[in-house]
Amino acid sequence: MTMLGYQNKVLRINLTDKTTSTEPLRMDFAEKFVGSKGLVIRYMYEDLEPGIDPLGPDNKLYLTTGPLTGTPVPCSGKLSIAAKSPATGTMNDCSVGGHVGIRLKYAGYDMVVFEGKLDEPGYVVIDNDEISFHSAADLWGMGSHAAEKKLADQYGLEYSVLSIGPAGENLNIMSCINCDYYRQAGRGGIGAVMGSKNMKAILVRGTGSVKVHDIEKTTDRIIEILRNDVVNDDNQFIFDDGTTAFLEACNDGGILPFKNFSDTTDEKWTEYNGEVLSKYREGKRGCGSCGLGCGNFLKIGDAICEGPEYETISVAGPNAGNRDPEKIVKFNEVCDDMGLDTISAGDTIIWAMEMTERGDHDFGIRFGEADKMIEYVKLMARNEGVGADLALGTKKAAEKFGGLDIAMQVKGLEYPQYEPRGSWGMALSYAVSDRGACHMRSYAANAEVFEASIDPYTAEGKGQLVYDLGEFNAIKFSLCICDFWGTIDYAIMSELLTMVTGKEWTEEDMSRVGRNVINIARAFNQREGFNRTHDTVPKRVVRDALSNGPAAGQVMTQEDFESMLDQYYEVLGWNKDGTMPEELIQSLL
Amino acid sequence: MKVTIALKGTLKKLFEGDTERVFEVPDNCTCDEALQAAGINYKETRNFGFVSVNNKRVMIDSRLSDGDYLKAFSRVSGG
Repeated sequence: MTMLGYQNKVLRINLTDKTTSTEPLRMDFAEKFVGSKGLVIRYMYEDLEPGIDPLGPDNKLYLTTGPLTGTPVPCSGKLSIAAKSPATGTMNDCSVGGHVGIRLKYAGYDMVVFEGKLDEPGYVVIDNDEISFHSAADLWGMGSHAAEKKLADQYGLEYSVLSIGPAGENLNIMSCINCDYYRQAGRGGIGAVMGSKNMKAILVRGTGSVKVHDIEKTTDRIIEILRNDVVNDDNQFIFDDGTTAFLEACNDGGILPFKNFSDTTDEKWTEYNGEVLSKYREGKRGCGSCGLGCGNFLKIGDAICEGPEYETISVAGPNAGNRDPEKIVKFNEVCDDMGLDTISAGDTIIWAMEMTERGDHDFGIRFGEADKMIEYVKLMARNEGVGADLALGTKKAAEKFGGLDIAMQVKGLEYPQYEPRGSWGMALSYAVSDRGACHMRSYAANAEVFEASIDPYTAEGKGQLVYDLGEFNAIKFSLCICDFWGTIDYAIMSELLTMVTGKEWTEEDMSRVGRNVINIARAFNQREGFNRTHDTVPKRVVRDALSNGPAAGQVMTQEDFESMLDQYYEVLGWNKDGTMPEELIQSLL
Repeated sequence: MKVTIALKGTLKKLFEGDTERVFEVPDNCTCDEALQAAGINYKETRNFGFVSVNNKRVMIDSRLSDGDYLKAFSRVSGG
């Protein structure tokens, strides 16, 4: 059946011969996977031959919205950008804010697929149903900020710009795609996929609309939801402090990593906390349809960024042995402009710091050398000098230089900034995440550490916990709902989806779709050869006890970790070796 | 015994502008009991997150000592 909320149109852009075509959206896919994250993984499973080179012309770059995108539903304005990952070889979907998702929907598309490769550096303009191709000769090599500004000056503010920096051009596997200057589709080298297609930028303008099944009921109900469930005490922290609020919670919770995850907590965390950073705040910003407004513009000295988010504060702060907030902001700014993911780039540099200090290999940088860390970002983006070695990322660099035991990664994607010895479920979350170590797939720390009554230091029950949280996020992100709407539940999700699409959706349906999404991602990865042997934990985590913080002395063993994996596979009905039964895969197709 | 209770995030409003207050509480009481002495029932506070004592997270039923610094955090979400 056709559902409203969707545009019922997929646009395919062939970059090799500069042609375009449209096709109806696969509604059978939408019924099983809804939109955005889930929908695009299903399309990738259909479109991408197993074993293709992620940086070759056979890989495709997908921009995908959801049925709520462009409607009055709050916090629904994000966009999923996806491709097979050059960092991990898994599927990889990234979520980016700003306004591009809504504009794409108003241009008339649920999904845009870039196929093939431009013969020379260029950019593509999607202006409603007019698609045009342009030379990027004068943009190639530019930082992402300068490139976006040049395009914004030329085309005007009705266009959203997605762009890559030098890192993406140089096929760096940690490169990101920028949007609205300061928002990133950050992880898994998604920027390198765009760079491999010789695409410096994508511009989008849309002037249409989205049809909603029952607009009056939807609008009335959304006003209530905004008042009661979005702009409320539970979510207020994200407007007041942004993710800087996590710093104290993570420090006291014993999951703030210190010096490449060698320990946790920092007794001097107040030198760079949210209170300090907020003194330099110059403005606020939210994405299209946002009711929360998490974006904080900061300027310290000549360093400027939107953020810095908790992840960046941690990786360029205590995890790098640095407490200077100006250096943290500068690191953030340079990563954004170069087009590098702050988490992976930061983790790779702090790994190099420890390798140098441990005497394993001299990368010429030690903990606390914040200025050098910023310079290394530029070298990595441009593949120059020591930057060429670090551009490999922690996994491949460790395979070359040693130090795999302290390379904090899973499947080649670097650890986010939550130390798993203080939150055992996070070790499992990182291990089974569909794109390598990602905290957004199942945010176990939220339940284990940030709630008053759950024991973080046990394997018991963690398989179910990580599954439940993962199922929830899988449907939430398939609806393209922002993660910071923390109080949304299955009842609200199903109610909104019913009002918008005209099809009856239940809370059980939300659970079913979430499970489908986890499974289709696993099926894609399984077809690429992934199984239990790839669901790993860095040696350090199961070998060394922490010295500081509430988790000091706690030991998570390899057996504890394997027990959590067993539990998780059992909940999903997977085999002991982490593969899925064939009938389960067939049920998704 | 005396303990200091600090409220974090959106719980701050419960102390009407004070960042922290000192309370006289029964010896060996739990974090939960100390919070109740401060007028806070964590189970009925919708956005209540977790507690730490002397900057280290503990379970809500952990016991306190004289002079302890108890922080109560509001919930956060997202990452």
